[in-house]
Amino acid sequence: MSEGETVKNEYDELRCTINGTDYSIAAPPSERLLMILRDRLGLTGTKRSCDIGRCGACMVLIDGKSVNACLAMAYQCGGKRITTIEGVAAGGIDPIQQAFLEEGGFQCGYCTPGMIVSVAALLGEHPDPTDDEIAEALSGNLCRCTGYGGIWRAVKRAIEARRSAAT
Amino acid sequence: MLLNRASVGERWRIRPDGPAKVTGSLEYLTDMAREGMLHGLVLRSEYPHARIRSIRTDQAKRLEGVHGVLTYLDVPGLNAFGIARPDQPVLCEDRVRYVGDAVACVAAETPELAARALALIEVDYELLPVVAGPIEALRGDAPQLHPQGNALHRTSFRRGDVEEGFKQCAHIVEETYETPRQMHTYMETEGGLFVPEADGRLTVYSPTQHGFMDRMQLSRILAVPQQSIRVVSSPIGGSFGGKDELNVQPYGALLAMHTGRPVKIHQTRWESVRAGLKRHPMRIAMKTGTDAAGRLIAHRASIVADTGPYSTLGAEVLNFATEHVIGPYRYDHVDVEGVSAFTNNGMSGEFRGFGGNQAIFALEGQMDRLAERLGMDPWAFRKLNLRRPEDPGPFDQPIAATEGAVKVWEAIAECSLWLERGAPAESGQAMLEPWIKTGIGAAFTMHGAGLGVGIPDPAGGRLTLAPDGKIEAAFGYEEFGQGLIATLELMLIEQFGFAADDIRIIIGDTDAVPDSGSTTASRATSMMWKSLRRLKEPFASRLLERAASVLDAETGELRLGEGGIRERAGEALLLTYRELADAEQSPIRCETSFSFPTSPTDRVGAHFMYTYSAVAAKVELNVLTGRVKVLRQFHAVAAGPVMNPQGYLGQIEGGSSMALGFALLEDAVMEEGRYMTRNLDTYLVPTIADQRGAVDVLPIEHLPEGDEHGPRGIGEVGSVTLGPAIAAAIRQASGKWVTRLPVDPASLQETPVFLSEAVNGG
Amino acid sequence: MGLNLRETGSTPKVWHPRTAAEAWAYKRNFGPDGVYVAGGTLLRTQWEAGIVRMPANLIDLSGVGGLSDILIGEDGLLLGSQTTLQACRMHALLQRTFPMATDAVRSIAAPSVRHLATIGGNVASVVGDAVTALLAYDASLIWHTGDGERQEELTDWLLTAFQPGSLNDRLLLSVKLPFPDEQDRADSSAKRVSAYHKVGRREAFTPSLVTAAVHGFLDASGTVESIRLAVGGGQTVPRRLEEAEREMTGQTLDAKLLKHVHARIMELYEPREDVFADSAYRKRTAANVIVAELWRASRTST
Repeated sequence: MSEGETVKNEYDELRCTINGTDYSIAAPPSERLLMILRDRLGLTGTKRSCDIGRCGACMVLIDGKSVNACLAMAYQCGGKRITTIEGVAAGGIDPIQQAFLEEGGFQCGYCTPGMIVSVAALLGEHPDPTDDEIAEALSGNLCRCTGYGGIWRAVKRAIEARRSAAT
Repeated sequence: MLLNRASVGERWRIRPDGPAKVTGSLEYLTDMAREGMLHGLVLRSEYPHARIRSIRTDQAKRLEGVHGVLTYLDVPGLNAFGIARPDQPVLCEDRVRYVGDAVACVAAETPELAARALALIEVDYELLPVVAGPIEALRGDAPQLHPQGNALHRTSFRRGDVEEGFKQCAHIVEETYETPRQMHTYMETEGGLFVPEADGRLTVYSPTQHGFMDRMQLSRILAVPQQSIRVVSSPIGGSFGGKDELNVQPYGALLAMHTGRPVKIHQTRWESVRAGLKRHPMRIAMKTGTDAAGRLIAHRASIVADTGPYSTLGAEVLNFATEHVIGPYRYDHVDVEGVSAFTNNGMSGEFRGFGGNQAIFALEGQMDRLAERLGMDPWAFRKLNLRRPEDPGPFDQPIAATEGAVKVWEAIAECSLWLERGAPAESGQAMLEPWIKTGIGAAFTMHGAGLGVGIPDPAGGRLTLAPDGKIEAAFGYEEFGQGLIATLELMLIEQFGFAADDIRIIIGDTDAVPDSGSTTASRATSMMWKSLRRLKEPFASRLLERAASVLDAETGELRLGEGGIRERAGEALLLTYRELADAEQSPIRCETSFSFPTSPTDRVGAHFMYTYSAVAAKVELNVLTGRVKVLRQFHAVAAGPVMNPQGYLGQIEGGSSMALGFALLEDAVMEEGRYMTRNLDTYLVPTIADQRGAVDVLPIEHLPEGDEHGPRGIGEVGSVTLGPAIAAAIRQASGKWVTRLPVDPASLQETPVFLSEAVNGG
Repeated sequence: MGLNLRETGSTPKVWHPRTAAEAWAYKRNFGPDGVYVAGGTLLRTQWEAGIVRMPANLIDLSGVGGLSDILIGEDGLLLGSQTTLQACRMHALLQRTFPMATDAVRSIAAPSVRHLATIGGNVASVVGDAVTALLAYDASLIWHTGDGERQEELTDWLLTAFQPGSLNDRLLLSVKLPFPDEQDRADSSAKRVSAYHKVGRREAFTPSLVTAAVHGFLDASGTVESIRLAVGGGQTVPRRLEEAEREMTGQTLDAKLLKHVHARIMELYEPREDVFADSAYRKRTAANVIVAELWRASRTST
């Protein structure tokens, strides 16, 4: 029993916006956003895989920028605007998601939410990225199924779709 | 015609499982949660090899919030598992044989409590000497890991008299090849939810490639009838062979039964690395000889595989490698010997390619070396020695004849990449960056599908007109990303004329599907195709007969169509499937079961159906660093008709990326039985930046007239052929032979050429 | 098991100082029980791997005023220690003035990690891949030491950085990159040689095996006016190869000198090995890539 008493879960109030909704979540400040999303909020589109930011399966947007949810601690999210894959799809299938569907940019699908979040971050910053910029932006998202062929095609198609939507 | 979206038109379809995957709404089995569930963790061995003196769990059990702490004493049935031979302890009693061995498992109210309970379990180990490799395992004085010794399995195959053959040879090449401990690296680590049901049954939601096999193994462990277990096993976040064997299921099941509460387990990446399967590292020594004209005469191969501590499918992988070191070539004299040895390293087992990857890297290396020795073009050399369609298989067994071998050979001979090899373009880059070199190489694979002779290989499926009017297709196969659901849907549309909306596909649930065998060995597409072919006549005629009686028409006037029964001559919809179902008291149901076709031979492991593949690859080598990039790939694959174009392309592209990793990047390094690569920061798989080169895929659909076997498997072959093609391309670029994968950049480094030249002064 | 180490410790408290002095006071107070946290990305990797136990107190530096910007100082560019690596990566002036720094940052992890990770964290890890590039620019570090600010040459700090207690409670405030001295450039016909290389085990998002930077000027006749060579990679503490630099300065960059430099790099660079690459490979790689850059410069300096 003595072991139990030494555990002090210092809960802090995490206030942030997730997919457009304001949240106030009681969580230890060092708890990772990944656990908060999956275990407390049931937002399981954000996947768990390596826990150290090396695979990108848990990618989310924090204030529009891609961040690994397994690295971000609760206190680092205070006051931030967080978008998960569920938020990307909130207004119906996004053109990026449509491009992944049409080009077959996924197989098992486990890396796909994180991959799409990274593409959203990229195209938010560079609407017409070069191949170098695409490779750099997605270099933190591992896919073991596709060999990235379908992903390259999907990203190109998403760029094209957004361009024609803009004109 | 190259396979791509434009070339296949309407057959390029959005996958039925796509929308849920791209929106993140698909619930994987490791995403599941239940009110009141407990969290399970497994205590694994501290040491690669040790005797267990005692296990004390009292402290862990006393921790509040901990509901179960189980050891070997708590296993009611067989304390062992293994698909082929159950010799891996569920929970070790007196000895641990690798760092993934499970000693205890716990269930607690939170993951943190479970971890604390784990830390309170005291295991007293007595260290034993570590058997760190297969060669030392087979020495007479090595510690014996199992009662039958350290050789899990030995194989041999002989044809002719190889010594006599070598005497006739004008050219002989001898080389030893080594391949890495490749990790599957499925993005979803092992896990799931284990739910004891109110009626006393247990539902296991956990990925596997053969739900019925898991059910059988779990029933043995729990000592309950198979019918009291339901295994739900799809969707799966990647498997590649790695989740075919049991992983966390025994612990989840035992803890759920013990506590009476749902238990969730989701392994960390490090637990997955430590406990999970890897590709067998192999050392393959070969001696191969030709006559003066380049005809192969004699071929000897000796395979040593590191199978790790327990059997799983280690023997079967060795059988496969034994067949595939012979390959698609003609020799009068062959002598192959193989041994798979137990060690205290990580578990080796089933992995896409199943021993073919290692075998073909070695075999194709021999072909390139001999061609060069003879001063022949390496592709012409292969043609000279290539099997004829009517030739028997590698084990001299009868096989389903196709012209695949010569057709993929021709495709490479004609492809632009291979033509470029003969006439490399001069580039200005050579002047500016003389340290950059390029090369082109090609390799050939004849890859068997199905489990082979001697292993039960059941197949089958069921079609039902369900009460709600849906055409229900139920198969015991799993969706781990390969596109099985999409392929099945397209087959039903194309073979029966249904619309996508008419169809409901049921897979991955032992309560709802027939046993169709495992989703392995490149067999599922073939077996679904064959099942539907067998079901087509009976199912269609029963639907039409019933429709005819409802409509008061002749069956000859009717046909199956989109949405329902239509008039044969026109488009008119006469009766929807819903109306047809409503008109019937009982559902219309047809089921088929059969076995994967096998060769009429008693040679265990011999295959009957083969896929042929040939790959040309262009690489760029930087001799300053010794690093290699793959610039372009061309794959020709002869596997019969393309069932699902997007899936086919994805399998070849994805498989080839694994081959690229196998050739250039990946190795789960072990030292004295411990992993040096514990997570994805040190175990490196290809990123998008490693995959920037074009991958062209040419499917060769031709099959001989009268062929009854339809589409051949393509799930594995993409992962096989690129490796040796890269090695051949490196030879052209650098003049160096690669004998060991992944390629060691140090072996390709050169002192910059300009250090020995005069510098352009002033 | 990593999980045990991490999960069985109590959940740490997080402190949010607003000034460097406050942060320093926390650290002083907690001693080994408190750890400065910038982005926390490296710490998380260590915690998860079980290499380091999660401490009782995390001192969050992100709220410390004035540390998250890149400022133009009188004689140099000041990279605030809490500037994220991605902010460095995208910074136009840094790219223009110190392109090797941008190159180095671009090859660290992936953008998503760089959105959290900071330049200060990379430097404080001692073996960060940016350090090699910063060395070649003769960077210095500005510390808060409790009683004020102190500037120290990066190269000096690295000599003792891994010694126990060397970091003490000091807080890294900024990294200063000195603007190029006009005299450094000599006349306008001088040829600049400036390149950073990271060699890892794959094309992107890879731990480094070797990092190498070369920065200097050749005059119109191909004579080395000034040169800095820096090498690092993996767990090797980056360092300048000052002996080789001295030997090159004033010499004509010809085949003989290139050969000499190659040999000297092989001697002077003492990389740490691991299971992925031995010392010989790392030495050859560093020597090859540096000499190749020098050769390229020598050919175009006519």
